[in-house]
Amino acid sequence: MTGRRRLRFARGLAAARLALRGGARYAGNAPRYLAAGLFAAAGEHRQQLREDLALRTAEDVAATLGTMKGVLMKLGQMASYIDDGLTPAARRTLSRLQDSVPPMSPSLASSVIRQELGDAPEEIFATWDPSPIAAASIGQVHRAITRDGRAVAVKVQYPGIAEMIAADLGNVALMRKMLRIMAPSQDVDGLLAELRERITEELDYRLEARNQQLFADYYRGHPTIHVPSIVPEYSGQRVVTSELADGARFSALTGRSAAERDLAAETIYRFVFRSLYEMHAFNGDPHPGNYLFGDGGRVTFLDFGLVKHFTDAEIAPLVSMVKYLCVEQDPAAFREAMVEAGFLLADAPVSTETVIDHMAVFYDTVRTPGRRTMTGSYASSVSRKFFDFHSPLAPYARIPRSYVILQRINLGLFALLGDLSATADWRRIAEEIWPFVQGPPSTPLGEAEVAWRSDATADRRA
Amino acid sequence: MSSSYGADAADLVERSAAAFIAAVPEQPADDGYFGPGSVTWRVAGDLSAPVAGLRALLMQALHPLAMAGVDQHSDWRQDPVGRLAATSAYLATVTFGDRAAADRAAARVRRVHEHVRGTFDGEPYSASDPTLLLWVHSTFVDSGLAGCELFGTPADADAYVREMAISAALLGVDEPLIPSDADSLSSFITTLVPRLALTPAAQETAAYLLDPPGMDDEIADLWEEIRNAVLISLPPWALDLYGLAAPDVRRDEVRGALGLLDAVFLGEPGVLEARQRITLRMRAA
Repeated sequence: MTGRRRLRFARGLAAARLALRGGARYAGNAPRYLAAGLFAAAGEHRQQLREDLALRTAEDVAATLGTMKGVLMKLGQMASYIDDGLTPAARRTLSRLQDSVPPMSPSLASSVIRQELGDAPEEIFATWDPSPIAAASIGQVHRAITRDGRAVAVKVQYPGIAEMIAADLGNVALMRKMLRIMAPSQDVDGLLAELRERITEELDYRLEARNQQLFADYYRGHPTIHVPSIVPEYSGQRVVTSELADGARFSALTGRSAAERDLAAETIYRFVFRSLYEMHAFNGDPHPGNYLFGDGGRVTFLDFGLVKHFTDAEIAPLVSMVKYLCVEQDPAAFREAMVEAGFLLADAPVSTETVIDHMAVFYDTVRTPGRRTMTGSYASSVSRKFFDFHSPLAPYARIPRSYVILQRINLGLFALLGDLSATADWRRIAEEIWPFVQGPPSTPLGEAEVAWRSDATADRRA
Repeated sequence: MSSSYGADAADLVERSAAAFIAAVPEQPADDGYFGPGSVTWRVAGDLSAPVAGLRALLMQALHPLAMAGVDQHSDWRQDPVGRLAATSAYLATVTFGDRAAADRAAARVRRVHEHVRGTFDGEPYSASDPTLLLWVHSTFVDSGLAGCELFGTPADADAYVREMAISAALLGVDEPLIPSDADSLSSFITTLVPRLALTPAAQETAAYLLDPPGMDDEIADLWEEIRNAVLISLPPWALDLYGLAAPDVRRDEVRGALGLLDAVFLGEPGVLEARQRITLRMRAA
């Protein structure tokens, strides 16, 4: 008995290490990424697409996702930014739970469409594929063709799930008990607040539709970034329809040439930081399932269920930090900006050298010009630093709630670029994007962006 | 130990999961004694099952001779988790196994029962005594119904009692003696109430079940919901004998706690697949 338990514990530790090791991260935790792209192949989410086990009634949905299980599933999806806090047992439970949800039967999915859009999908669309093509976090994706001939992806939410999850989230005493078990080292109240806010947002597809359209509009005409537009007439609270996109999965990309991988990586990099610095928005779900890859660095970005909008006041200190550390080389001003953002206590009894020493790793790729290859070990060193509770800075460092989601840049983006062994002069690309530099195009992709940028600027002026 | 949810609790989950998985055949020779269309399968899979199981144990322990049989002939004090896991393995096999598997399991229990005899307080007892077998049987069936009623989905009581009669017969009780509807089940239990008492062994059993040792504080917090649910579900006479009061419980909170427990159970490798085997057969029925 003891032997087996020890083995399991060891496995748990291995999983924890895997989670921190960039390269293997996605492979090791694939099942928990349920909010998969629209084209998740049937084989990738076996359980979700098992039609023989399909949920046929609202009662089936309640039995599978009610009584806290829906909440746990969402917690599992968000696990990547509370990874450090989850116990191995909790992580295993959450991951298994995500695997356990079957799809809706065609008639159940159809009933949701009827409720939301007023008619059966076969009536609304010229063609409706009753078999889902992918699992989504709390729903599934169907293919359809509209009456005016557009191919679309229709995401349909499990009926009653929003109400069930809202009720369970309202059970605060139990939620706190649950989080204390699953993430004993975390600030339970902060986590609970974050969970409630995030989950509540994700339950209403209208918000996701608004966010996706915002990104679609911003990047319209971009040479390599593509965000499918929402089809508003077929979207509602529990159904969201967007134009159908095509492309290769991440797993296929890793087999392509280094040049192709570098281009795709550059597009993703530009997308993340242009969105952050220009739109003040961050799509908090940067994992491979949410990308489809074309040629020449073209990337389609899917799933905007987890978008964080920053206020100007929230963005300003981030911009100052990068400016003072990487461009003006003014450590004292950098430290001041950190304090302003709330990352560091004002009177922390640590030297500014120590602060720089701890923080520099996050800016490693952009402090100086020159081509650099992203590696899994860089991504993991960033993660380790983030979770380094023993550093002299740790007692005085905080991550204010509104920035929590930015951990995903470290955990998600850098790990992804590391997986691609992506090489570029990240500093020069960053300079193009940094609002206080707005440097000239530094790559062919940057050149290609020029036309889009002048159009976009014209649009914004209009 | 951050790897587990608390020593004994994790052990129990792990071992009852293993028992459950082993009991659900991949290629059953037949539908067993109940089958996928039965109320019994429904009740066995109800969210409330853990509450029902604990309630049954607490009721059963109050019969001094039934308790003495366990106390004097098993190592439950040294290995309470093992004892509970063995019971849950037996119940799962009889419920979900095919007839051959159920027969084998029952024959094994009957053989063990032959040696479980002795005296308690000067009174001779034998585990094969139909009255003791029926006490254990009736409290289990009654608890399944009470659990569903209070915290799960209510079940057809008469049908469940009727179906479950076979499980008492498998252990050697003559069929005419076995309660065959909900009323006769209740009156059987009521007639035995005057025989019940809180023996030291029963007190220890209850203490263990209601407050398992070695739980992390966090788990203990959650266990409190389950414990309160069990207490409120007990008949008043059982609470009186234990000297306990019925606590206040919120049904939603209990169901939430049961859902979390179920999620942990589902996290054990193989449980999901075993459940799917059951679901597919129930759908085909």
